[in-house]
Amino acid sequence: MNKYFVGFSAIAILGWYLSFLATRLDRLHGRVETSWANLDGLLQRRAAIAIEIARSEIADPASALLLTFTAHQAREASVRDRSQAESGLTGALGILLENAESISSPIELSLVQELDELTAKIKVAIAMHIEAVTRTQMVRKKFLIRVFRLAGHAPEPMIYEFEGDVF
Amino acid sequence: MPLGKKRIGIVCPYGWDTPGGVQSHVRDLAEYLIAQGHTVSVLAPAINEDALPEYVTSAGRPISIPYNGAVARILFGPVVFARVKSWISNGNFDLLHLHEPAIPSISLLACWAAEGPLVGTFHAASTRQKIAFAITPFIEPVIEKLTARIAVSEAARETLQIHLDTDAVVVPNGIYAKRYANAQVDERWSGNTIGFIGRFEEPRKGLSILIDALPRIITAIPDVRVIVAGPGNPADVLEEMQPELRNRFTFLGRISEQEKANFMSSVAIYVAPNTGGESFGIILAEALAGGASVLASDIPAFDSLLGHGKYGTLFQSESSADLSSKAIELFGNPSKRKELALKGSEYAKSFDWDVVAESIYDIYEMAMVGSTGVTLSSDNRAWNKLLGRNS
Repeated sequence: MNKYFVGFSAIAILGWYLSFLATRLDRLHGRVETSWANLDGLLQRRAAIAIEIARSEIADPASALLLTFTAHQAREASVRDRSQAESGLTGALGILLENAESISSPIELSLVQELDELTAKIKVAIAMHIEAVTRTQMVRKKFLIRVFRLAGHAPEPMIYEFEGDVF
Repeated sequence: MPLGKKRIGIVCPYGWDTPGGVQSHVRDLAEYLIAQGHTVSVLAPAINEDALPEYVTSAGRPISIPYNGAVARILFGPVVFARVKSWISNGNFDLLHLHEPAIPSISLLACWAAEGPLVGTFHAASTRQKIAFAITPFIEPVIEKLTARIAVSEAARETLQIHLDTDAVVVPNGIYAKRYANAQVDERWSGNTIGFIGRFEEPRKGLSILIDALPRIITAIPDVRVIVAGPGNPADVLEEMQPELRNRFTFLGRISEQEKANFMSSVAIYVAPNTGGESFGIILAEALAGGASVLASDIPAFDSLLGHGKYGTLFQSESSADLSSKAIELFGNPSKRKELALKGSEYAKSFDWDVVAESIYDIYEMAMVGSTGVTLSSDNRAWNKLLGRNS
């Protein structure tokens, strides 16, 4: 009788542990999605502000053209090319705002300030997203999770080469 | 704040009635958020439940446990766990902010029990917690639930990276810089004075290092005086030191926040000889805001707060010889002192609550994206749903 009892409890504990692991992984997948949605939203806002800056008085015709082009590119890029497109936008903004101290009109100043605040937020959002992705990948590699296919049909989260994209 | 007013729950692991860095951080943050119109509830252990502010819920009496070089008053156990759970389910929170969730405390329990947007702030900076390596496998799945992590300093962030292998965003502790901007110089404390604030009986605060350094400082600066503020019994300290040093010391006892601001503007040098266990060093930020020139030990937290010596002078930790020579140098060079103080008070503006709370709230907003609020994880379990159970 004792043998059965031990066997039964072992199965029960394994079952509990598997459900614990599945919940843990599910939560992480959820976090990858929400942190990406958050980051995506912030980047879209950045592109919108960039276009506004391009149309303002700060931008000379050449940089306005460059800025509009890179902003559109960032908005329309596929996930694969997104990182490169965002870097392009950062570069274009960097060239234009190199001498941001000389800006005097209040409308342009508030635009630049909004961009600064947004950049700080984007940095945090990137850190949150990367953390979620690396955690998820780590947990997905666990033996039990692979053997029992606890990840189900959830796609493998993509590591996003965002480091240094926004500064 | 575009997302409107939120219901925020904050968990403080240490006893609310005991003074400490984490507690005052939680208090200031809660009061700032309430002033912004949010609904805030703080869960903390407390000895005297009648003396609590309206927004604090007591989790029970804390127990004293030696931890990280000091005695920590914390709390855990099954009864407390039930209390934490009922606080979470009654609170209807949009977000939970857990302080120091990696130590056995109500923060860890709350992190275990809750599901939804969770933000954790890590205060401790210590590379000596060997035990952390042993408990990491248990802590990891719990810490993993945090949507966003905040470290109060670069040192705390490094500790987190080493022990728990996770990254964090650095948001410093806050001070009310405005209070320091209109501080008055108090004649009683000015002149060739050295200031010290803290629980001076605790060895890790390092008052004894300052006492050992004093004879050498006296030979160079004959009229030097030491002004000590903070709770404790001065008789014990005075008894142990050489008789000729006693009349150099003035003990003020506990002082008010405004007096503290005046103190920082009055003393010639503010000395922080702490030997460790310090996570952030809020007192140094306050000293800088008050316009004091700071001389601090080179422990990681102070080193990073002072910008590796850019905004204050650092001496080799636990070395009274180095402390005395750096102090003599500072006393002999008033223009350098003035320059450091000027740079320091400008830099201290970045620790103002207006700046700090705004960055914390930005993180809250990001953590709340796409969420419907905090729930108990036990509510989400499949068998509870099957049984129709609702707690």
